[in-house]
Amino acid sequence: MTRRVNVIGVGMTKFQKPGASDEYNVMAVKAARAALEDAKVDFKEVQSAYCGYVYGDSTCGQRSVYELGLTGIPVFNVNNNCSTGSTALMLASQAVAGGLYECVLALGFEKMEKGALASKFTDRTNPLEWQANLMSKVQGFNAAPPAAQMFGGAGREYRWKYGTKRETFAKVSSKARKHAANNPYAMFQEQLSVEEVLASPDVFDPLTRYQCCPPTCGAAAAILCSDEFAKKHGITKPVWIAAQNMTTDYDSSFKEDSMIKMVGFDMARECANKVYEQAGLGPKDVQVVELHDCFTTNEVLTYEALGLAKEGEAEKMIDDGDNTYGGKWVTNPSGGLLSKGHPLGATGLAQCTELVWQLRGTADKRQVPGAKVALQHNLGLGGACVITMYRAD
Amino acid sequence: MSDLRFDGRVAIVTGAGNGLGRSHALLLAARGARVVVNDLGGGATGAGKSSSAADKVVEEIKAAGGEAVANYDSVEDGDKIVQTALDTWKRIDIVINNAGILRDTSFKKLTDEDWELIYRVHVRGSYKVTKAAWDHMQEAGFGRIIFTASAAGIYGNFGQANYAMAKLGLVGLSNTLAIEGKKKNVLVNTIAPIAGSRLTETILPKNITDALKPEYVSPLVAWLAHESCEETGGLFEVGGGLYAKLRWERTEGKLFKLGREIKPEQIKKSWGVITDFDKSTHPANINESMGPILGNLESKALGGNDLIDVDAALGFEMAPQKSQYDEKDLALYALGVGAGANPLDAGELQYVYENASDFRALPTFGVVPALGMVFEALKRGENAPGMNYGFDRILHGEQLTELRRPLPPSAKLTHKAKIKEIWDKGKGAVVVTAITSFDEDGNELIYNELSTFVRGAGGWGGERGPSAEINVPPNRAPDATVEEKISASQALLYRLSGDINPLHADPGFAKAFGFDKPILHGLCTFGYAARHVIKAFSNNDPRFFKSIKVRFSDSVFPGETLVTEMWKDGEKIVFRCKVKERDKTVISNAAIDLYKEIPKAPEKKKPAAAAAPAAGAAASGEPTSAEAFAVIGDFIAQNGSLASEVGKTFLFKLSGPDSAWTVDLKNGKGSVAPGGDKADCILELSDADFCAMVAGKADPMKLWTDKKLKIGGDVMASQKLMFLKKIDPKRAMEVVAKLRGAGGAAAPSAAPAASAKPAASGKASAAPAIVKALGERLAKTPNLAKEVGAKVALVVGDHAWLLDLTGAGTVAEGKGAADATLTLGDDDLVALAKGEGLRDLYQHGRVRIDGDPRVAHKLNFWKGLV
Repeated sequence: MTRRVNVIGVGMTKFQKPGASDEYNVMAVKAARAALEDAKVDFKEVQSAYCGYVYGDSTCGQRSVYELGLTGIPVFNVNNNCSTGSTALMLASQAVAGGLYECVLALGFEKMEKGALASKFTDRTNPLEWQANLMSKVQGFNAAPPAAQMFGGAGREYRWKYGTKRETFAKVSSKARKHAANNPYAMFQEQLSVEEVLASPDVFDPLTRYQCCPPTCGAAAAILCSDEFAKKHGITKPVWIAAQNMTTDYDSSFKEDSMIKMVGFDMARECANKVYEQAGLGPKDVQVVELHDCFTTNEVLTYEALGLAKEGEAEKMIDDGDNTYGGKWVTNPSGGLLSKGHPLGATGLAQCTELVWQLRGTADKRQVPGAKVALQHNLGLGGACVITMYRAD
Repeated sequence: MSDLRFDGRVAIVTGAGNGLGRSHALLLAARGARVVVNDLGGGATGAGKSSSAADKVVEEIKAAGGEAVANYDSVEDGDKIVQTALDTWKRIDIVINNAGILRDTSFKKLTDEDWELIYRVHVRGSYKVTKAAWDHMQEAGFGRIIFTASAAGIYGNFGQANYAMAKLGLVGLSNTLAIEGKKKNVLVNTIAPIAGSRLTETILPKNITDALKPEYVSPLVAWLAHESCEETGGLFEVGGGLYAKLRWERTEGKLFKLGREIKPEQIKKSWGVITDFDKSTHPANINESMGPILGNLESKALGGNDLIDVDAALGFEMAPQKSQYDEKDLALYALGVGAGANPLDAGELQYVYENASDFRALPTFGVVPALGMVFEALKRGENAPGMNYGFDRILHGEQLTELRRPLPPSAKLTHKAKIKEIWDKGKGAVVVTAITSFDEDGNELIYNELSTFVRGAGGWGGERGPSAEINVPPNRAPDATVEEKISASQALLYRLSGDINPLHADPGFAKAFGFDKPILHGLCTFGYAARHVIKAFSNNDPRFFKSIKVRFSDSVFPGETLVTEMWKDGEKIVFRCKVKERDKTVISNAAIDLYKEIPKAPEKKKPAAAAAPAAGAAASGEPTSAEAFAVIGDFIAQNGSLASEVGKTFLFKLSGPDSAWTVDLKNGKGSVAPGGDKADCILELSDADFCAMVAGKADPMKLWTDKKLKIGGDVMASQKLMFLKKIDPKRAMEVVAKLRGAGGAAAPSAAPAASAKPAASGKASAAPAIVKALGERLAKTPNLAKEVGAKVALVVGDHAWLLDLTGAGTVAEGKGAADATLTLGDDDLVALAKGEGLRDLYQHGRVRIDGDPRVAHKLNFWKGLV
């Protein structure tokens, strides 16, 4: 028997370029304080903290949380590649749902370096070895950043399969910039036309530079609590977690010589199905989606994995405008990873932050009208996919 | 881990009323041992006597539920203490000799009583108790005995002469009892405890003695006393938390050969070796201690004296040295030994004019680099050990020079020298140094034996060596005679070949040595003689020369006339040289051996690094792996920021021939170096595949998928090697050419093939022919186009075609509206025509598709168009 989990406070820092940001602990503390303030909860009431980050030595979580108070609470350091933030969120949520704690903090932060993602520990087995080996078998190694090769390769496979035009992917980037224009927390707010996206330097066909999310520094946080705790604090109608799930790789990721499968399509689809089942709601019940658009190709793939479009019909969904204001869904109103930025540890919690704002109706100019049910998709190669459904009723 | 218990065991702990003894007794009793608590009840200095100390400990043990009995005898009455154990429990298993007192005083103030008392309590007391228990233990087949020594005994301590004596005495006792008791499972050990007790209060500050609790010592005692502990004959330092074993360490030392006087001076001289612990051993028993001595018993000194130590010198090998020579050295040498006196004589010119069609080395040049090596070593002070004489005592007595084949016009040589013989000639000694010179391929080229006579160094009664009367001319007129006047300046010319002894140039120096004027080098005369023999018996062809052996019997002055008399004896020519003016034999007992046929050089060994790749791989003109790495190194040097961009290290492990190379693009500005065993990314492939890869002839991806290239470590890092594609083929060629130029005449002169992909524009495009063939194929088989039903634009480099596959199927040059546009390289179109799949090329990024890629699904008409 699990309990309902409410998200009563969220907060984040403005995402910034590597080199331009504060130290990780400073960013983390800013985001956590914002979330605590948003929840109107004193840190003393927080009973445990789940801190996500990918790059950094052990116990960066404590170093950050300690600035909020040395209350001796359990602090968990979480690392799950690009899905780190939502993994921290999930652990926090499970702790409340399972009755361990009444009020917990999920915190994600990342201080990234310039340049594409790369392995930090080169003296031991690379955790992405299986992925790299499959890719090498299917399309060889190239000089491009590995992640771009993986998601770009999936894009090639998708295009070959469904005849998708290169422009379609570029449209995703252009849309993301449109959304980000209204998000003061986003890194890139300048607008980009489809032509400009296509004209930017090739990274790995069909991906051009503006179709790849940038290395980013930032932090985001959420305060989660039980119904009892919310009631005691006089919080009425909080946003709550209607369903949440995590999947990791299946056989198909490595056994079908498919780049689409390798980058986690089946993980996402299975995860989404479980979430829909758990919530008793389907894609049609959702109004707003924050999904993992690390590369434009993955946003396209994810439409289908989440059931927003049938397989092979993402292009039509894009052309019909069903991924933006006025369409069936608004995907990535925040600007997504492409425009807002992608600090690995923070992304999952920044997505949560945006959706909570959307469901509360406080998203200002980028508010999705009538948003009652929101879906969050956060994916990490290696791999893990975390999908969370939020409700505001 | 189960507890160490002593149930059923009976232990005696002497001096157990206080401090360490009390602590041992309490611990053993707590673990089930029945304990005789012995204490005389005296003070720390042995004064007084009372039963209260022992009684208190016994009470303590009993209160804790243990068994104990008190004994108040002096350890000097050890049998009584043991009797207490036997009377009470009918057995004795463990003896802890702990009782002790101090009578500290400087040696100056030490009295006989101090000395005697300490001896009696510590040594005699331990002896008496142990002795009384010994037979019982032997009979029972079990015993554990522990003696208590002290750091004061091991290391010495001011004011504790008597105590130190006693304590180390116990170590000796313990060591021997360990040997005698082992068979019967009576194990004996010694501890050197540091503990804060009554005995240490006098020598250590209170705060330290407080920290050194007896309770930190007793656990070791208990373990050593336990039946499961098999240690015996050990000595342990213990206290303050430290538990450590001590052992003896001995330097390798100096072993003198036996049979001759060993002087104190020799000990002094060898003091460094005698006291050097670098190569030490740890003898653990008498046998190990005696080992080196027993090994030396059979040694026999070869003899020698202050000037020559035969034992030290004989067989000594000098460190190998390198040298090189070229045509100029050969010519200068030949001039130095009188060649070219008649510049119109082709037989002379062959030695001195490098452009002569038959330019050849004068064979006796073979002595020059060998002698040079010895001089070089002497100059650096590297003489054989045991040779303690200077230049002033030596004379070049005899010389043997052998050639394995004719000397090449230039060579890089490695010399190895060894003291081969030392003979005692009575007044003097003869030292024979053997020098072997190897060419670059490691083949032996020259062998020299240099016999030096050392004045006044003989007389140690050693062997005289073989008889000197060899190569004696037969009793008949010479078969040939050559007479030649030696130029007055000849010594000045010869010395330029390396023997710069002032005796041959400096009139004053020569006078000091008792000569009227500088004398000619013996080896110069030697060269004259060789020329004469070759002229007379080898048809002036030096290539048949095999060896020369001479004795230098007297001096020659420049300006004198040399007469060489020769007798042929098979392949050997016996000869002697005389000075005409003085009718003196200057070279005697001499002979030159000739080869019947000119020996050939052995097959050239290929240097490993530049070895040709395995069969079937790159041809000889292509860069070898070593050259390819040099090219990479050059590229890294040219691109300073590469290391900071890549930030990885790579190890290439090549096979057949095997080599390893480290490309470091992480540290500093990056580097390439042979060898290595660690890197971020490790690439294993054959030497041939590596060469092909660098030459642009093998695709690394393909090698990888074909399992010919193994990537270990950071797989992702391997793609950072894409910079290799940026290497300019022209520049690469220059680097390779430069390398080969430096490699000498043996290197192939052919220009190397480009080491990177040739530029696409550099060759004719295959596309028009393929597209034309496609047009014909479409016309012949209309169904091909029908199945596609779309327009396809084809862009290959600068060429563009529009394939209209909506109707009959036509091909037109130029651009136009299409459902899908395929952009690809000429090579990729050729690959398609050769049967590679379009989808595979597309997924690999070799074909770009704009528009609808599904159109491309049906474009399967390429195969065979080439």
